[in-house]
Amino acid sequence: MVVVGQTFVILVRGLDLSVASLMATVAVLATAFKATTNDAIPMIFVAAIAFSAVVGLVNGWLVARRNVSPFLATLAMMIILQGVRFAYTGGAPISTLPPGMGFLASGRILGIPVNLITLALLAIIFGVVLHRSRLGREIFMVGSNPKAAFLNGVAPDRVIIFCYVICSVCAGIGGLFLLGYVGTVSNWVGQGYELDSIVAAVMGGVALTGGRGNIFAALLGVAVLVVINNLVLLLGFPIEMQLIIKGIIIIGAAAFYRTRLA
Amino acid sequence: MSAVVAEFRRNRLSLSYVIVVALLILLVVAGGFLSDRFLTWRNFGNLFQQLVVLGMVSLGQTFVVLLGGIDLAVGSLVSASTVFIAHFLEWRPDLLWLALPLALVAATAIGALNGLLTIVLRVHPLIVTLGMSSIIFGGTLMYNKEPGGSVPRGLADFSYAKLWGTPVTAIVLVAIFALAGLWLQRSRSGRSIYFVGGDREAARLNGLPVNRIVVMAYALSGLCAGLAAIFLTARTGVGDPRIGAALTLQSITPVVVGGTVLAGGRGGVLGTLLGVLLVTMLNNLLNFLNVSSYYQWVIQGLIIIIAVSIHTTKRRQ
Repeated sequence: MVVVGQTFVILVRGLDLSVASLMATVAVLATAFKATTNDAIPMIFVAAIAFSAVVGLVNGWLVARRNVSPFLATLAMMIILQGVRFAYTGGAPISTLPPGMGFLASGRILGIPVNLITLALLAIIFGVVLHRSRLGREIFMVGSNPKAAFLNGVAPDRVIIFCYVICSVCAGIGGLFLLGYVGTVSNWVGQGYELDSIVAAVMGGVALTGGRGNIFAALLGVAVLVVINNLVLLLGFPIEMQLIIKGIIIIGAAAFYRTRLA
Repeated sequence: MSAVVAEFRRNRLSLSYVIVVALLILLVVAGGFLSDRFLTWRNFGNLFQQLVVLGMVSLGQTFVVLLGGIDLAVGSLVSASTVFIAHFLEWRPDLLWLALPLALVAATAIGALNGLLTIVLRVHPLIVTLGMSSIIFGGTLMYNKEPGGSVPRGLADFSYAKLWGTPVTAIVLVAIFALAGLWLQRSRSGRSIYFVGGDREAARLNGLPVNRIVVMAYALSGLCAGLAAIFLTARTGVGDPRIGAALTLQSITPVVVGGTVLAGGRGGVLGTLLGVLLVTMLNNLLNFLNVSSYYQWVIQGLIIIIAVSIHTTKRRQ
């Protein structure tokens, strides 16, 4: 889910390092309702999405209007969210959650995991937006050549901000599902997702220089990453090996796409 | 060439330095009022000692950022180097003269490899150094998961030694910065870093050995990480495979606060030194005021945004 959002941002030559921090912050926000019944779930979702959208708006505004490089803007956002989150929780994990949240993460409908269904839905919706709509084409245009896009009557700023909002909202929803899966909120839940999501997108062939990529291919990148992690464990390699293999694959995949496109 | 020379003049006296210096003065004055222990020689001695490691890593980062690149492997490299140094010295404490140069050479080589990979594979430096960081970290953990090793007495003494009340390590740091600054501004190879960072294609057409310069900048970043690791190991006395993890992102903050532009070609080491001072002093003051580290994060994030906004607005005018 995070990768779906990350794809949007990378397409407009950006990068979002704040996703993991946002996931954890949304998870903390969800527990802030101290809800023990399922009635609160819609409320939690609305609050989480609204909060994420605001974060994305700020990221996008900094990048598009203030000319801050995406790396720095989202890095700063990551640190700020982290500080706010810790200041609220005092560093302790919380686990007051409505029971329905667990169903979201590990429940099944007709034998298919709920989170997989949600992911498919999100991917299809955003995939259609990206690959079939006018807005989607504008995103590719801004990503490959902002100036040309501007001259063609597209407002690059607005498109860029939109992409950051999408990215944050995806991360926020991802955070809620992760929360349901883990059950408790540690302050570091989601850590590592910022880099993994970028890696997965790159492995799925999304070009970091913008303007080129496909959501479904990016999701294949996720699948590859998960399979690799899993394989390393199944083959009985030490967990450190996972880090080394991941590093080699990151560089290798990026190099592979570069040579093929050149 | 005269345009390039003019560019250097402007860089040297650029407004961003003025802003950072003004902020520093403001911080010192405010610190003096808010805490009676802040403006003491002893505190400043501590402060300088604290900023040595961050300063070294940020210096290396500056070279790479000036080139328009970024080095996300420095944190892992620092950790790996501390592990190497501490374990080597535990094994043969008498071989101090061999261990330190060996660590520096290894760190420089890994840095050069980063640069080489960005060129040969033509992959974004973000991806290359991120991948390398993962590989280095994994390798270090395979060797040893826990902090371990030890350093001989002499090295530990070095990190606490003082000359006229000033930590020797801080003097060394300032000397290295001065050398780096002179090299960047005055020498042909130093200036070529700006040139390549400003416009790689133009540099190539002007006959500069672009590839060699890129590898050199990353190698320098590796060397700085190695030096930082020496300072760090001397102070902590152990090699810790996780100690450098936070340094990767921390090292970028002073660089951009000091006015070096992430797109490359503008900025300098003086700005970075001021940036390191500002960040370290601010954290130091906030500690005195008993502000929790949680809010320190928030403030650090805000500083990055504000500093970069100021620099970019200025550039557009």
